[in-house]
Amino acid sequence: MHFFSVIRWIAWKDLLSEYRNRENISSMFFFALNVILIFSFSFSLDPVTIKEIMPGIIWVAFGFTAIIGLGKSFLIEVNNDCMEYFQTLPVPKGAIYLGKFLGNLLFMLTVEVILFPLFVLFFNLDILDQLLPLLLISAVATIGLSALGTLFSALTVQVRAREVMFPILLLPLSVPIFIGAVEATRGALSGDAFSMYSHWIELLLVFDVIFVIVSFWIFEFILDY
Amino acid sequence: MVATHFIGKLRKFEKWFGIVAGVLIAVGLYTGLVTSSPDYYQGEVVRIMYIHVPFAQTAMLAYSSLFLCSIWYLWKRESVVDNACHAAAGLSLFFTAGGLLTGSIWGKPTWNAWWVWDPRLTSFAIMFLTLVGYLMLRTFLDDKEKRATFSAILAIIGFIDLPIIHFSVEWWRSLHQPLSVSTRGVSIAPDMLIPFTLMSFGVGLLFTYMLMVRTQMLYLEHLLEAKQGRLLNEGQG
Amino acid sequence: MRFSQLSDMNAILGSSLSKSFQHYQVLKEVSVEIQQGECYALFGPNGAGKTTLLRIFATLHRPTSGRFEIMGMDGSRDRVKVRNTIYLIGHGSYLYDDLSVKENIQFAIGIRGWNPTDGEIKKALDQVGIGRFSRLRSRYLSAGMKKRLSIAKALLIRPKVLFLDEGYASLDERGVDMMNECIRTFTKAGTAVLMTTHDRGPTAEVAHRVGVLNRSALTEMTVKEMVAADALF
Repeated sequence: MHFFSVIRWIAWKDLLSEYRNRENISSMFFFALNVILIFSFSFSLDPVTIKEIMPGIIWVAFGFTAIIGLGKSFLIEVNNDCMEYFQTLPVPKGAIYLGKFLGNLLFMLTVEVILFPLFVLFFNLDILDQLLPLLLISAVATIGLSALGTLFSALTVQVRAREVMFPILLLPLSVPIFIGAVEATRGALSGDAFSMYSHWIELLLVFDVIFVIVSFWIFEFILDY
Repeated sequence: MVATHFIGKLRKFEKWFGIVAGVLIAVGLYTGLVTSSPDYYQGEVVRIMYIHVPFAQTAMLAYSSLFLCSIWYLWKRESVVDNACHAAAGLSLFFTAGGLLTGSIWGKPTWNAWWVWDPRLTSFAIMFLTLVGYLMLRTFLDDKEKRATFSAILAIIGFIDLPIIHFSVEWWRSLHQPLSVSTRGVSIAPDMLIPFTLMSFGVGLLFTYMLMVRTQMLYLEHLLEAKQGRLLNEGQG
Repeated sequence: MRFSQLSDMNAILGSSLSKSFQHYQVLKEVSVEIQQGECYALFGPNGAGKTTLLRIFATLHRPTSGRFEIMGMDGSRDRVKVRNTIYLIGHGSYLYDDLSVKENIQFAIGIRGWNPTDGEIKKALDQVGIGRFSRLRSRYLSAGMKKRLSIAKALLIRPKVLFLDEGYASLDERGVDMMNECIRTFTKAGTAVLMTTHDRGPTAEVAHRVGVLNRSALTEMTVKEMVAADALF
């Protein structure tokens, strides 16, 4: 079906470009690394404190990763006026959104998967037996973050002062993601039973479903104002 | 055509909203601040609630009108509707700020802190930040249609997010700090109910009146700009 | 001037189009009709609104007032159908720097729901004279080569209506000849070509009709008048 081939073409183009220049993933990764470094200076690193602040560190680092990576995701589309080409395309615009969203989601997840071992390394975390729930939490929270981030990236890339506007718009509205992700991660890291924190994952899932659908629907207006 | 008709309607009815709002607020303030008895638990402090609660309610009313106007704009693309969105957003910010300020003043004697991470206060603070973002986005966009559309998109997303934000903050709060004073489930004495009702309707109507006036103002500014443009063009040709 | 008409329907029909940006009224009540297979050249000083008119027809701007039809379809109501029939070669190259020339073509055409064969792509690239560079990343292309690549895409897409913004800009002498050759290919196939240009010489070789847009109004003339005139505006 044409709808899915549009999604595939957009994602293919983004992944191929990223494979060739590695701009997004490397800038996201090294930025997050710097955040971790600053954190390790900012807090006393005794085991009790670490356990308390670790979920926050993880999600602040991932949040910054999103701001760096997602904020730039539509730059590639405005550099040579490709947004204009999208606008004149006789295809459903929501499919273009989904293609961009999938690419961004993949970049974010890749960086997160690389970062997790580093948290283990730097903060002496013992997460191996909790790996599965942690990955699930990351995936579910990152879907919501990418959904909203992709939409706001398209919105702010055509705006003056876009570097400022992107986080100013994204952060307050993704508060539920950060609350849900931090609380669920806290539950997982302290070794609670899955059912003790699964309601946070449900909250994140509700957020994901709502904002993937709403963004998909509303994206058309960004291209066709 | 649609715009002039719409603006004409606003001009015709605005004064009634203004007059009724003024009367309701005057009577509400008098009964609330002078004649009603102080609260059994909170004492005289409770009187700021006659301003705080209507402000918070009206802020919700303002978000709702911003949301509805934004959908209306995306649907019809009338620039006068964008003027209404702009007006509603500015007023939302005003009433949100008013609600936060009065809530904070009420919180100092009640909770012994200017700020607590109460779910409602936190949701309002997040909404405040989103509205600031909304108005910033507007100033950073020069193209008229683009500005109207993009800000409408943001308003719709923000409004849909609002219940999720409130819900998540409530869950999060109940986990970390149990509420010290709950404002819920308290029955209200009849001589307090009258000023509450009067003020709620009064401030709500005040908002409606302000929205009508401000929409006209922004519309006239936009007309003036177009007229200036026409004069400039004629000067050239 | 007569030329073979493929049907009675106008390819482009604009009536009383006006467009303002902030204070400035760029177009004032501009009306124009362009038939299928016709090449219409638009002259005018910088800032006269040539590009704006093109972009309104290409569904990139909405007119402040007035209406237009592309291939008989309403420009504001049937935008998706209109977009199926048009292609714009504008100032943007619509390229991704890290994709090769061939990959860029595959993407631009593929996303429209059609996958041209390698042979078809090669033929189009050869026709515009950049066949040798098909594996080069588009980051390294010069402005002229990017223009040629846009023409190659248009050749593959075969739109019913083609918009050329500054058709001859950044092309060398042979490029200009190649462009005219391609325009002839298009018009012979029934495509309407609307181009903005400043070069009277090459335009005279392909254009069927000429319009001069000045002070937000359009004056039409024949190609002969255009060539004979001392100054167009």
